[in-house]
Amino acid sequence: MDPVRFGTNPVVITKAADMRWHAVDDGRVAGRAEAWYRPDGRLFLSIDSWHDAVFGQLAEAALADLPRPLYTMVDEADTDLASHWTRAGFTTRRRELEYLVPTDPRVTGLGSAQPPPDVMIVAAGDADEDLLRLLARQIHDEVEAAIGWREMPAEMLPRPAGSVVADPSRYAVASRSGRYVGLLRMSSLTRLPRIGLIAVLSSQQRRGIARALLAQTLESLHHSGISAVSAEVGESNQAGTELFDGIGGRRIGTSLELELRSPGNARAPQGA
Amino acid sequence: MQKPTRGFEAEGTVTECLRNATFTVELENGHQVLAHISGKMRKNYIKVELHDRVVVELSPYDLTRGRIRFRYRT
Repeated sequence: MDPVRFGTNPVVITKAADMRWHAVDDGRVAGRAEAWYRPDGRLFLSIDSWHDAVFGQLAEAALADLPRPLYTMVDEADTDLASHWTRAGFTTRRRELEYLVPTDPRVTGLGSAQPPPDVMIVAAGDADEDLLRLLARQIHDEVEAAIGWREMPAEMLPRPAGSVVADPSRYAVASRSGRYVGLLRMSSLTRLPRIGLIAVLSSQQRRGIARALLAQTLESLHHSGISAVSAEVGESNQAGTELFDGIGGRRIGTSLELELRSPGNARAPQGA
Repeated sequence: MQKPTRGFEAEGTVTECLRNATFTVELENGHQVLAHISGKMRKNYIKVELHDRVVVELSPYDLTRGRIRFRYRT
């Protein structure tokens, strides 16, 4: 690719650090690329540039250096950015729906959602930490052994090495006979809180426990004056989409996870 | 070799969420910019909503354009 030129000198790509590149135009940063390993071991690349041509130049430099497979995230509505990645060879791996979920029980219809008779919901902040960590580990292992965390909406939380619980106060749990069987994590308590994870042990699914966890948490937020929360669900997660569609969740956006595979493992594009 | 200069950064408030994943951000001096979310924020699933306080890096080529680099917890 011929170097881009805006002024007298062509834009130069420099390697600023390991897995970090700058596009420099007459002493100014015209764009940057950065790659980063997620805790699941996958390598994600981001590129920001002020000009389309600089994006291509940065992509060329980064892709020449980085191993495959490589991943990136893009908002589906950002068609310009998605097309840049497509031109660089990336294809859509999965789609993730973003929901805006009301908290008012009169809107969600969750006012009457009760847990099964042998299950009790423990509010966020009241969970026993040891039991919570045990449940979180069990759920982590179940998901990893089934669909794998790569298929779940991934949220990057700082946490101690080896731990699957970053902040125990964020979890409401479902307790059955002194054992925790389900959890709901609020991942950020900003003006628009976000549901980070809802999960129930496989042996206890299809009993209405997730709905009961959701009902208790949303009602509590409603009483705190919060009218809505956000949540993300993988498009292929039918139970998840049905749950949020069924309580008045509104789909407000879609994120695409794009993938660049090694040449021998290319897959057919899915439309990004 | 001289370190390249980054774009000017300023704090502002998101006043409009537009359809194509862009946002109108009003800076503290009243100046309005059209901004995207940075790739690093997208990778970390950090969402930006109406009325969020953010840090925007302004384009050195066009001061009406910017990139949201940080969202404050509000």
